[in-house]
Amino acid sequence: MAVSAIRPIRGNIGRVMTQQQIELREHFANQLEKVAADKDTRAFEAIYSHFAPLIKAFGVSSGLSYQGDHLPEELVQEVMLSIWRKADLFDRRKAAPSTWIFTIARNQRIDILRRLRKYQNDLNADDVWDLTSETDLFGEIRDTRIQKNVNKELRNLPMDQKQIVAKVFLEDKSHQEVANELSLPLGTVKSRVRLAMQKLKLTMGVNEL
Amino acid sequence: MTLWHPSSDQLIEFSSGVGSSAMNIAVSAHLHFCPDCQRQVIEYESVAAVLFEQQAEVAVVDNGFARLMARIESQPPARPIAKRPTPSRFPLVVEKLIAHGTESLRWRKPMKNLRVSQLLTDEQGLILGLHHMKAGCRVPQHTHRGHEISLVIEGGFSDQMGSYGPGAFIHLSTEHHHSPQADADGDCWLLSIVQAPVKLTGPWGWILNPFLTA
Repeated sequence: MAVSAIRPIRGNIGRVMTQQQIELREHFANQLEKVAADKDTRAFEAIYSHFAPLIKAFGVSSGLSYQGDHLPEELVQEVMLSIWRKADLFDRRKAAPSTWIFTIARNQRIDILRRLRKYQNDLNADDVWDLTSETDLFGEIRDTRIQKNVNKELRNLPMDQKQIVAKVFLEDKSHQEVANELSLPLGTVKSRVRLAMQKLKLTMGVNEL
Repeated sequence: MTLWHPSSDQLIEFSSGVGSSAMNIAVSAHLHFCPDCQRQVIEYESVAAVLFEQQAEVAVVDNGFARLMARIESQPPARPIAKRPTPSRFPLVVEKLIAHGTESLRWRKPMKNLRVSQLLTDEQGLILGLHHMKAGCRVPQHTHRGHEISLVIEGGFSDQMGSYGPGAFIHLSTEHHHSPQADADGDCWLLSIVQAPVKLTGPWGWILNPFLTA
């Protein structure tokens, strides 16, 4: 299946997109398994074509480019190298390809930022954010359901909530930093995130019960 | 299962890879004990992944894939990633921090039956410490400065607010006056997060911050 044929069109809504997303997820799960099993470079290139521009966007929005123009591209290289090496850890029953790749990108970003800040300790990001955890409790079905809900409901979020959620989840900013940037009280940021999580139909935290 | 957990804000910051190293290590250690919070982190990671996929793409350099493959081919084939050993005692992240065992750490002994060791100071000036209370040890009444954390990693203790077992992630603040006592049936091991030392006065200053150099 050609990647370009199933790339979702931004702004497209409804059933078609959901179907496309399911196909897209299946497609990349297959490609990751081929990389794991056979070191298949064509499958790897398909993954690169789709995800590299997203990883680069993640690097840019995390502010990496302020610290060096080459850094978002370096992040792409490091993340793709990790995907190549760790493909056998990918388990489609546990996570969607995008979730797995996001966690790798997050961990690599943490390690790059630490090197820049010249802050070191004895642990690297993979020691703290364990990619191999044996959490069979939450399988593909769960991740699929969450991704479906989130995809659907994200579009319906008021702009102010969506903006904050995107900043909090992707931009390497604490709630406090987001509050400072938007000149909002910390409590307002926290309650907007919380409202958004409710609308995304996530289970409530243990603390909120 | 414990009643004491990180807040959802802390779990979101952990899931997005934001925040202080000491706090993230403590959250990671809590997850070792807490399937509920693990589940929440996985949900937040799914949210992040959807947002990640919805980003406006940024074009990569033309020769990016060729460079990547050249790098891969020039390196020796990666060793198969070994299955991690099951942690012998403490959460994996703690085992990694104290790779040479608890007895090789530098300990200070502020009182009989209590010793503390500073594991690291992070980029935000938070100190991650390990506390070892002997069974039945009682620490005198004291309070805390804002946003300090204790996480039980073995055994348990009680104070005026409740009882805490393995995994309890306890938020301590200035309102929290307590004199914790380790359970009688075994030693209690805690991770703690405190602000970097400031000079404190009074006889129990070291309890507020045992990492003060006297």
